[in-house]
Amino acid sequence: MTVSANYDAIAKCNKCGFCHVACPIFRATGHESGVARGRLAMLRGLIEGRVEWNHELEDPLFTCLGCGACTTNCFGAVPTADLVLNARSEYFERVGKKPAHRLLFEHLLPYPKRLHLAARAAALGKNSGASKVAKAMGLLRIFGRDLPKAEGIVEKLPTTSFRGTTRPETYAGQGKDLNIGYFVGCGVDVIQVDAGAATFNSLKRIGKSVTVLNNCCCGLPPWSYGDIENTKVLAEKNLKVFAEADVDVIVTDCSSCASFLKEYRKVFAGEPQKLELVEETRKKLRDVVEFLYTAEFGASGDKEAAVVDSYHDAHGSGSAAVQAVMKNSGKTVVTYHDPCHAVRGQGIKSESRELLKSIPNVEFREMAEADWCCGGAGSYALTHYDLSQKVLDRKIGNLKKTEADILVTSCPACMIQLAWGIRKHGLNTKIFHISEMTAYKEGLTA
Amino acid sequence: MITDSFVKTMEDIVGKEYVRSSEADMELYSYDASLIGGKPGLVVFPGTTEEVSKVMREAYKAGIPNVGRGFATNLSGGTIIRFQGLVVVLSRFNQILEIHPESKYAVVQTGVTNLEIQEAVSPLGMFYAPDPASQKVSTIGGNIGENSGGPRCLKYGVTSNHILGLKMVLADGEIVDIGGPSLDPPGYDIRGLMIGSEGCLGVATEITVRIVPKTESVITMLAIYDDVSSAASTVAAIMKAGIVPLTLEMMDNMIIQAVEKGGSCGYPIDAAAVLIIEVEGITTGLKEQAEQVNRICMETGCREVRTAKTQAERELLWKGRKGAFGAICNLSPNYLVNDGCVLRSDLPVVLDRVKEISEKYGCPVANVFHAGDGNLHPLLMFDSRNAAEVDQVHKAGWDIMKICAEFGGTISGEHGIGEEKRDAMTMVFSGHDLNTQRRVKKALDPKDLLNPQKVIPLVPEGSDQLPDTKPTVLKRLGGETASGVGEAMAAIRKAAGEKKAVRIAGKGTFNGFGNALKQEVVVLDSLNMTDFIEYDKDNQFITVGSGVTLEALQAKLGGENQWLPIRPPFCDGATTIGAVVAMATVGPERLAYGAPRDLLLGLQYIDASGSMVSTGGRVVKNVAGFDMTRLLTGSLGTLGFITESTWKTATRPEICKKISASGSFANCFEAGLNIVKSHLQAALVTITPGEGGQATLSAGFEGLEMVVDSQVERCSEVMKSAALSVDGAEQYPLLEGYLGSAFAALWAVPFTLQADVVISQGADFVSRLSPIARPAELLLDAAHGRVYAGFDALTGEQWQKIDALAASCKGHCRLLKAPESFAGEHDLFGASRPEWRLSHLVKQALDPHKVFAPGALPGRI
Repeated sequence: MTVSANYDAIAKCNKCGFCHVACPIFRATGHESGVARGRLAMLRGLIEGRVEWNHELEDPLFTCLGCGACTTNCFGAVPTADLVLNARSEYFERVGKKPAHRLLFEHLLPYPKRLHLAARAAALGKNSGASKVAKAMGLLRIFGRDLPKAEGIVEKLPTTSFRGTTRPETYAGQGKDLNIGYFVGCGVDVIQVDAGAATFNSLKRIGKSVTVLNNCCCGLPPWSYGDIENTKVLAEKNLKVFAEADVDVIVTDCSSCASFLKEYRKVFAGEPQKLELVEETRKKLRDVVEFLYTAEFGASGDKEAAVVDSYHDAHGSGSAAVQAVMKNSGKTVVTYHDPCHAVRGQGIKSESRELLKSIPNVEFREMAEADWCCGGAGSYALTHYDLSQKVLDRKIGNLKKTEADILVTSCPACMIQLAWGIRKHGLNTKIFHISEMTAYKEGLTA
Repeated sequence: MITDSFVKTMEDIVGKEYVRSSEADMELYSYDASLIGGKPGLVVFPGTTEEVSKVMREAYKAGIPNVGRGFATNLSGGTIIRFQGLVVVLSRFNQILEIHPESKYAVVQTGVTNLEIQEAVSPLGMFYAPDPASQKVSTIGGNIGENSGGPRCLKYGVTSNHILGLKMVLADGEIVDIGGPSLDPPGYDIRGLMIGSEGCLGVATEITVRIVPKTESVITMLAIYDDVSSAASTVAAIMKAGIVPLTLEMMDNMIIQAVEKGGSCGYPIDAAAVLIIEVEGITTGLKEQAEQVNRICMETGCREVRTAKTQAERELLWKGRKGAFGAICNLSPNYLVNDGCVLRSDLPVVLDRVKEISEKYGCPVANVFHAGDGNLHPLLMFDSRNAAEVDQVHKAGWDIMKICAEFGGTISGEHGIGEEKRDAMTMVFSGHDLNTQRRVKKALDPKDLLNPQKVIPLVPEGSDQLPDTKPTVLKRLGGETASGVGEAMAAIRKAAGEKKAVRIAGKGTFNGFGNALKQEVVVLDSLNMTDFIEYDKDNQFITVGSGVTLEALQAKLGGENQWLPIRPPFCDGATTIGAVVAMATVGPERLAYGAPRDLLLGLQYIDASGSMVSTGGRVVKNVAGFDMTRLLTGSLGTLGFITESTWKTATRPEICKKISASGSFANCFEAGLNIVKSHLQAALVTITPGEGGQATLSAGFEGLEMVVDSQVERCSEVMKSAALSVDGAEQYPLLEGYLGSAFAALWAVPFTLQADVVISQGADFVSRLSPIARPAELLLDAAHGRVYAGFDALTGEQWQKIDALAASCKGHCRLLKAPESFAGEHDLFGASRPEWRLSHLVKQALDPHKVFAPGALPGRI
């Protein structure tokens, strides 16, 4: 779809400017290129011939985090993030795509095994201090110019991926009758393997069976880059995996994946024969936050209601890492960061807080601007390092004010970014995936 | 013309990353929230006032037009610069620098949004009153430039009423501090002139705003109507009943539909109109007031009144109202919004005319507006992709402005003139009025580089001024035809012709005020200007000749149970209104009612050429042109002979009661501050010293008896808790107040000092004053940090020390009264202040031959 095809949606912006206050990038730069109104003005300029397709468009088109905060703040709900990433694809056609993106999108993300291998190589390189090896392999360099600064963000990569130890197959659970599919996002698979383990254990306690899916990347990274063709390749592969798995629900502990998987219909707009399957799959998809919330506080659905009982019967070992942070006496202060793809992508907000408040000896303290983007935005932190750091600094400033002992979220990309921010600012706050927190709680009842 | 070397200079000043010049960037700075567009040549992002100064100095040298820009939510094209000009983006000025709840002020950078100020001061129990609907995203710098209003300004007044000081960069790059945390700095009200000047006179980088304690309770009601005219009659009826709600906002069916389409905010989709009515105050009596409002609504054809039960419900209603402009995109891609202001009693008929215009040009209209202020916001819908629609909508907009002027209103209540309404200025101003405003612009921006071609219509080619035409639509009453004016015009012309200076007088209350005149003058008085030109009790304003006495004015208003809510110190019933305007004299009751600068809506005056000049008008919100009304108010007769003034009037309070307590001066002061920062709504809080180091604290409360009694009761608790012994409460007369004898005593001695310092340092100033010169009489206006002191004798050295003491308390002082011998040798306004230079530039531009009271001004110009 070309930019011109979206003329009506773009012309809907009447330049009232209310998006300025919501846009983390604008608040960091103060530049009109970094806000929905400006991005839409650019697109309109392109359509009306006042602006040319050239490299000058890079800022307005590629500094968007895609967090969607502008749309929430817009009375016309102009879907700027979608319109911008749509324009990115035309930009690639007209101005050109970086070969680096090609490598990632076409050769790595569709193949979990290749990704595991690449990650393992990078991990060995980093952990042994020979990060030059990783660089030489070109794995991380694909993200673009800001890499040398960005490399410090991922502190330490595990040497074994989650699915390297927990093979994609069906495992027996302790629950009564729910068959769960576990969609393992790339982040959890190769970086937050502990969160993956916590989620997996929780799912095993709840479900009759848990199938670790042999899925590939959900497709969000190429989609965000406007690379629709490669997105389709990934989405089709995943739909096939979903269709073959005999499961009642598909749960993922990455809010970005969850949000995008639920939106597959955007990828296949105009292909009605695929939409039926997409719709069927969508009904089964659960963000782990909503799934655990249902387990804890009850559900409206029929089969899932059974989950509640089995969940409360479940006992586990708990998360040792969380245990270590929880105070022996008095309350431990916990706060929550809303991933964009959870709060705006899926409308999940209160569930996470209820889950955290239900943990004994936790004082939940709301963070200012909790639903603001952290600047991670998938690989954004790697491609636009300086800008993403400004957004992050604002976030960490808000975190600091809460004086929280623990920061919780539900998106691996956010976790990487936030952990880096905490380290950079020298805070003592520890960060955990919400699955790890619930695993800890389960351990208490053991 | 922007050259490569100019770009390089800019990069050297602000750093390369903060200079943008690509085509794409120029496109991004070619628009604001209005329909006006135009590409600049360069965009810079300075980070400090010094950088702004350097940028502007270079632009001045190179002759490059420039405009300061915040987040560009401007609705009149005010932030658009053409001619390949320079955009000075102030978005990096995003810090809140100081908050002083005790002294009721905060200092913020210009790029901070209005809402960020609210959020910063709210935890301290304070708020900043102006709340434009765009407050989430409009910056305080932009609010200053436009003199923004908002729903709450029905009760609290507009931006100009709440700004205390500005750090500004002038056209040539000079940095100057104007005003500050202490009230009423000597010299012209340059701050008043700057506010609403739409970036044409300077660029503000730091702003000192007044903040006030939050109110105890608020009740939000949604009144639902089946027809618009009933809603309009409710508005008129509420105001007529003497109630001043916090807000009185109207939305019609079309706007309700637009808003509800974007997500429900709780408005009934079938209503022809709704009113959002809020009343606030101390809890006692508020429910009764809400019930009274409810009753009035139902009596004037309301279908139903709903009351917001929770804060969330209240916020949702406001979310819809404040997002209404943006929500139009749910009905149509673009809108043109007018913001004319008319008398609220004219609303129903003006709305009908707006509808006719909308039909005539085929642009559907949605109405959302500040009904209590008579400030319309008809949103004309169209699609900017269709050239014919654009043409039609501009014509419709023009006709709506005409209607507003025809009904005696104004073309812009709060959005500004900018480029969009520039040519409509001739509807409400004469050519001479506009030339006068041009002279002010030229005085401060001689090269016409600051936001050029805005606000004032362009002069015809080959001429350096506009033709001297009458306003094309607005009919102003009074003026030359009022009694006594023609003679005064002739007398000024005669004096000017003979190169004689004149001094304006009334009954003589303030004769001799100001620096001693060094030359012989012709005295002209206003005593024949005794016309009551217009009095509209329903719309609550009055226009009177300058020779009308306070007594006569209050008597006239008293007939309708109204009054002019001022008790100017040192005046009596015989004092003329003209003197009050020229002196801008104000007593401690400004806490409740404001000062003359807050109450005056418009003026007419005779200038140095003997011609009439009109400023402002008769509607409560008016941002058409530079704020000449405030410039003239308090100008001590040095800019012109003010012949008539238009004032807001108020309903008389049911009762006035003061409560007094005694104790140490320190305890009195502490209690005084506690009263000021509490939820109590005192009209004035004063301290007078007594015997043996003791002092008396008094607080006056004025309003409904039930509310006053409750406040007096609570006030006595505050007094007791500061270890004061409460002397008791008593009623006082409305017009005289309770300070008549104190002011008389202050005026009976040879020297009378008025010092203004920051509120929290009032006691400090008083205690440090005595060692310099022991006052014979003293009065502290605790709520404003104003000290009046009377001295039997004062030396030049003591005066200098007192002046320095005031400066050390972030304030200033003046001698209201001094013997001629003293006045001949000393400047009665104290040591020179940098901002006086601006006063002198304005004086030079408007009275080049020094006709009016030469030498009387601070700095002896």
